[in-house]
Amino acid sequence: MTGFAATESVPVSFAERVRPFTPLLLLVLLSTGVNIAEPGFASLETASVVIADASVLFLLAAGLTFVIMLGGIDLSVQAAASFASMVVAELLPRVGYAAFPITILAGLVMGLASGFVHVKLRIPSFVATLATAGIMTGLSLLMEGGRTVSLTDEGREQVAWISGAWLSGVPNVIVIAIVVAIGGMLAQRYTRFGRYSAAIGAGEPAARAAGISVDPHKIIAFGLSGVFAALAGVVLAARLSSGSPDLANQLLLPAIAAVVVGGTAITGGVGSIGRTMVGALIVSIVRIGMTYIGVNIFAQQIVFGAALIFAVFVTIDRSKLPVIK
Amino acid sequence: MLKVENVSKSFGPVKALRNASIAVGAHEVVGLIGENGAGKSTLMRVLSGGMRPDTGTITIDGSPVVLRDTSQANRYGIAMVFQEQSLLLNMSVADNLHLANEQPFTRFGVISRRRMIEAARERLAKVGLDIDPSQKAGELSFAARQMVELAKALSLEERTNTPLTILLDEPTSVLETKDIKILFDRIRSLKSRASFVFVSHRLDEVLSISDRIYVMKDAEVVAERTAGATSVASLHAMMVGRDLDAEYYREARQESPGDEVVLEARSLAVGGAYRNVNFTLRRGEVLGVAGVIESGREELTRTLFGFLPQTSGVMLIEGREANLRTPTQAVAAGVGYIPRERRTEGLVMDISVAANITLARLDATMRHGFIDHRRERAIAVEWIQRLRIKTPSANQVCRNLSGGNQQKIVIARWLTANSRILILDHPTRGLDVGAKEEVYDMIRNLSAEGVAIVLTSDTLEETIGLCHTILVMRDGEITARFDAPPHAKPAQVALLEHMV
Repeated sequence: MTGFAATESVPVSFAERVRPFTPLLLLVLLSTGVNIAEPGFASLETASVVIADASVLFLLAAGLTFVIMLGGIDLSVQAAASFASMVVAELLPRVGYAAFPITILAGLVMGLASGFVHVKLRIPSFVATLATAGIMTGLSLLMEGGRTVSLTDEGREQVAWISGAWLSGVPNVIVIAIVVAIGGMLAQRYTRFGRYSAAIGAGEPAARAAGISVDPHKIIAFGLSGVFAALAGVVLAARLSSGSPDLANQLLLPAIAAVVVGGTAITGGVGSIGRTMVGALIVSIVRIGMTYIGVNIFAQQIVFGAALIFAVFVTIDRSKLPVIK
Repeated sequence: MLKVENVSKSFGPVKALRNASIAVGAHEVVGLIGENGAGKSTLMRVLSGGMRPDTGTITIDGSPVVLRDTSQANRYGIAMVFQEQSLLLNMSVADNLHLANEQPFTRFGVISRRRMIEAARERLAKVGLDIDPSQKAGELSFAARQMVELAKALSLEERTNTPLTILLDEPTSVLETKDIKILFDRIRSLKSRASFVFVSHRLDEVLSISDRIYVMKDAEVVAERTAGATSVASLHAMMVGRDLDAEYYREARQESPGDEVVLEARSLAVGGAYRNVNFTLRRGEVLGVAGVIESGREELTRTLFGFLPQTSGVMLIEGREANLRTPTQAVAAGVGYIPRERRTEGLVMDISVAANITLARLDATMRHGFIDHRRERAIAVEWIQRLRIKTPSANQVCRNLSGGNQQKIVIARWLTANSRILILDHPTRGLDVGAKEEVYDMIRNLSAEGVAIVLTSDTLEETIGLCHTILVMRDGEITARFDAPPHAKPAQVALLEHMV
């Protein structure tokens, strides 16, 4: 057959091959780095603190990953988590254990609402979720006039399955995060939803032309983001024994950073829950490591901002984007 | 004298230009013709500074120049009037005319609107356009916008000492006959101030406006003729450059279609785009739809795949009424679509070959409701072998494959989805000759297996060569229907009569 050039495929460069593993490499480098600066960092005790911290962040970032993979963004995750902490703290004394499923359901509803606004009303996701974030924050503030709701002794017992530790001291939060991570990874690899998400994120017009119903999938992704954010909120409430309208306020930037530093492209298509897990660990190491070696806590957001810029800079292939908006 | 010598340009494995050379003399209109994908647009982009060639030189009056970008090309007096018009429709005509050149009207950082509008009016007068320069560009007709573009290009003469060369890339494709005449009159009267390169695939137009004509084919400049010494017929022969049409389009393999009607349109219509469309499509039949831009055939194609639901009329698929409101419904009804925009609508470029093949029918890979990757790979490998898709593996990302192989993957997807009707929307656009032939083979194979095909194509030859039946559309209606059995194909002129 003529007409087909001899070079059928472009050889994949070394940099391309290594790229997926850079976050893992970074994780190892960072932990050794902190340990050299401050020997004693690498102990089981600190590891447990870092991983527990990363777990909460991961729960928040896991749902966000689904949305970012589709090429969207969900800026409402921190508001949703705070909202969920209020809902669960309010409901525990009233309905007992039923508070947990109701809170998660509330997260789902708010997430679906964001998705509906974005997809059906055709409003860019960053505006849609910024708006729903405002609404959720408002609802949280209204509940108790902006005050924090502390859990009662009974409430503390009811959240013990979250705040407690498993066997010889593995915090249950870590177990929850691992279950979510495995579930998320399996969903991405083996389900229709996972496959269609990747396809839509990498090429929405082509996915549409292949007969995929794009709109419902997008809305579901936002719903999932709401569910995971609510779960993170419940976990935070359990660990801090209270619900508060600003409980997760400093977590949006680290959550986005966790997704992107893990190697999920902010433009969609490429990414996975597994990568977000690595990203969350990196962010937590940086966070706790900085405290450990004595960086001013107020300066930490500077580091996350810079890390986010750098991560987006290295992960997206700008040659495929005609205009950066 | 502007000269392009031995210019080559490749995109990955595809050669878009191969040692192309052309010259444009002062006060000359040079025509550039060729089929889609022959390299005309690439050559224009090289000349306008929009693209750097891999090799070759560009000289102006003997001294070599490097055209790094559009503004540099402008400095050498070269300006392009774009095929997809480049006016900003939300800005006024005056703003558009002076865009990126507001300096002369600026004092202390403030732009004088009054002086800008005055200057704009002068410029518009040069092309004989009498409109209010403060009007929004979006409010103008296509013809008027074209004139504004021309005025914009011509305004270069105020900024440069070199003689102007204005590149017109398919300027007539959006114009009506009377506007084309006006455009040509302007070009003739402006010849005293500038040279023109006129790109079109309407040969009669090129012949009537040009002094000299270059013919491009398969990325090369294959001929140069003075307009007085050639004809539409001979230009056409050089452009297409093949005699063995019957063999080229695999006519010997054209078998009679079955009797079973798989798709029927009854009084199908979409708003202002087309109306009263009736046809039947049988098992194994290749049905061509011919027509010029705005004949309604593109819209009809999109209706058949649920992109553009009909506003009235009925569509029957295998005897059952099918109201296709979305592509999802079309796929479920057994319709597949091979788009012209392979890179955006055909394939998801950054997922694997296997994932693209199973995308329209993921069920085929599933076991107990979950994707079985081994099963998916087996499906992909089978198609890779059957369609001879050249890829290192089923896991390869599609972006790295050649256009012809990408097109095969799209076809494999619809075969996996058991599509019984395929809508082929300019399936060979942008493919080189060899890849085109493979697509022709594929169409014959699909037809032999009983797949019914609706085809729109860039060239009439392709439509005539490949189809069993041809519908001709004009102004939203079917004006003729031709049978095209092997070795008794209708002539192009016969179709053309009903197209324009």
